[in-house]
Amino acid sequence: MTKTLDKTALNKFLSALAKDFFIMAPQYAGEDVRVAEITNISDIDWTGQMPKNPWKQVFLPAAERLFNFNKNNITESRKQYPQIACVGMNVLDLKALTLFDQVFSDDVYYQQRRNNLLIIGFTADWPIDYKKYKVFSHNYEEDILEHLSFDIFVAKLKNNQLKIYSGSPRGQQLLEKYGIKDYKNIEFAGAVPEKGPDKRMLTLIDKVSKSYNKKLWSDLDKLCLACGKCSIACPTCFCFDFSDQLDPEESNRRRHWGNCFYNDFSKVAGGAKELDTVKKKIFFWYTHKFVRIPKEYALPGCVSCGRCTRACPVGIDIAKNIRELNK
Amino acid sequence: MKSMINIYQPQPAKIIFVNRESMDTKLFRFKFADKKIQSAFDFLPGQFMQIGLPGWGECPISICSSPHFSRKYFELAIRDAGVLTHKLNSLQKGDKVFVRGSYGNGFDVDLFKDKPLMLIGGGCGFVPLRPLIIDYLAGRLSTAMLQIFYGCRDENTLLFRDEYALWNRQAEFNIVLEKPSKKWGGEKGVITDLFPKRTITSNSVAILVGPPIMYRFVIKELKKKNIKDENIFLSLERKIHCGLGVCQHCAVGPYYVCQDGPVFRWSEIKNIPNVI
Repeated sequence: MTKTLDKTALNKFLSALAKDFFIMAPQYAGEDVRVAEITNISDIDWTGQMPKNPWKQVFLPAAERLFNFNKNNITESRKQYPQIACVGMNVLDLKALTLFDQVFSDDVYYQQRRNNLLIIGFTADWPIDYKKYKVFSHNYEEDILEHLSFDIFVAKLKNNQLKIYSGSPRGQQLLEKYGIKDYKNIEFAGAVPEKGPDKRMLTLIDKVSKSYNKKLWSDLDKLCLACGKCSIACPTCFCFDFSDQLDPEESNRRRHWGNCFYNDFSKVAGGAKELDTVKKKIFFWYTHKFVRIPKEYALPGCVSCGRCTRACPVGIDIAKNIRELNK
Repeated sequence: MKSMINIYQPQPAKIIFVNRESMDTKLFRFKFADKKIQSAFDFLPGQFMQIGLPGWGECPISICSSPHFSRKYFELAIRDAGVLTHKLNSLQKGDKVFVRGSYGNGFDVDLFKDKPLMLIGGGCGFVPLRPLIIDYLAGRLSTAMLQIFYGCRDENTLLFRDEYALWNRQAEFNIVLEKPSKKWGGEKGVITDLFPKRTITSNSVAILVGPPIMYRFVIKELKKKNIKDENIFLSLERKIHCGLGVCQHCAVGPYYVCQDGPVFRWSEIKNIPNVI
């Protein structure tokens, strides 16, 4: 028998959590669903629409102060990190988070922040694009959930009942604490499925690597404005810069998001730039997603959320470009 | 979390010696403030350090001293090329900097053992070749012949001049200047002008450090001498922030200059678009 929960019980649980956590969740902001801080649990959007912005600012702030230089030593800028519950992250965004967890596994700032996050995933149905890509089968317990980082996962069934999963001891404890007993525990089986990395992803590595002379890139060279909006919208773009702030009292080092479309990204002392054309920049971006990330982590660098396509002011469609590269 | 190492935390180091090498470059010798760190410090020729000053940021600089002395000190030759390096060039003996590293793969010196070695450096790119020269002269690197090719703009930009007499004694040391003064009695021209005039054996290992344009022309000359792509090593310069293969600034194709490089075999990277 499937153990289920109704929406009222879920909202009761989330309201209880809100006493200890800031709640970040998708909500309507004007015409779009966006990830934002929630003050009223009933504002959470449960339609399963892809939020326009990614979640990454919660895990890796657009700018953060890392440490301060005092006279003779270095002190950490931050002693405490906020308790945040990320509520309603869809499967694609959880895939991006799972990748971030690998990329920043030995990064003390990421880890400190991440340890105070509670991840509550949600699926209403598979996104339309997702089915079209046919990357995954529909058995989300074995093929999907086992390979995602989350604490609690909520699946909406056809009868509008909710099926609850726990994905960590912490998730279990919280469910128990607030009297939700009908859940199923999923044991994390590593980010990469047992049957090996996705085959489509593997064939793309070679295709993208060898594609620089394809017409696609010279077309994109003319079309792309190198505005960098795709990179900001992308849930897997994690490039960063360090910069210092000079202060006679307490200089400090900061980290902020980098953007490979911006001119200073590759500029070395003396002014030489490696990425000095739009073609080189956009090829670099695709190489990161479809060559470097798959090679390093055996995970896709693109979770097919479509945010970059939505963000692009000149209508560059990543799905179309990938079809072209796959030819 | 208190016990997790902060991979981005630099360590204070003190300048114990400064020498002006050229118009725009100074050689600095550093010692870590923490004696334990200094006495455990090790690196490979060709590796680099991230050096910074509080409030001024960090930049990658190749180590130019020999690993043989790594437990005592390390040296960086820093050219005044940007805001931070300008500030660094104003520092004096006793001043403190913050460093982390060493980073990168460095030269795999086992590959050079007993093969004729060509060290080819252009401008300030010459810096990471110095540890190899020091180790060769001390008999730690190879018993085969060493040829050094050094191309520079003029006399004012030549580095490590105090050491040339020593280098000349045991190695074939060639300098060529692009725009020398009238007093210059040596070769004039660009580095590739030297190759037809010297005996170069096809089983040589060639190590190139310099600007991309030098790589393009030098590789062409080396191919004429039948030197194999897998025996050509070059060190790439890219923007580097993290030094640990994460931040993406230094990526070339599937590789990171800060981790997989800065030293690459030409055969490994020659098919990457725009690599040099």
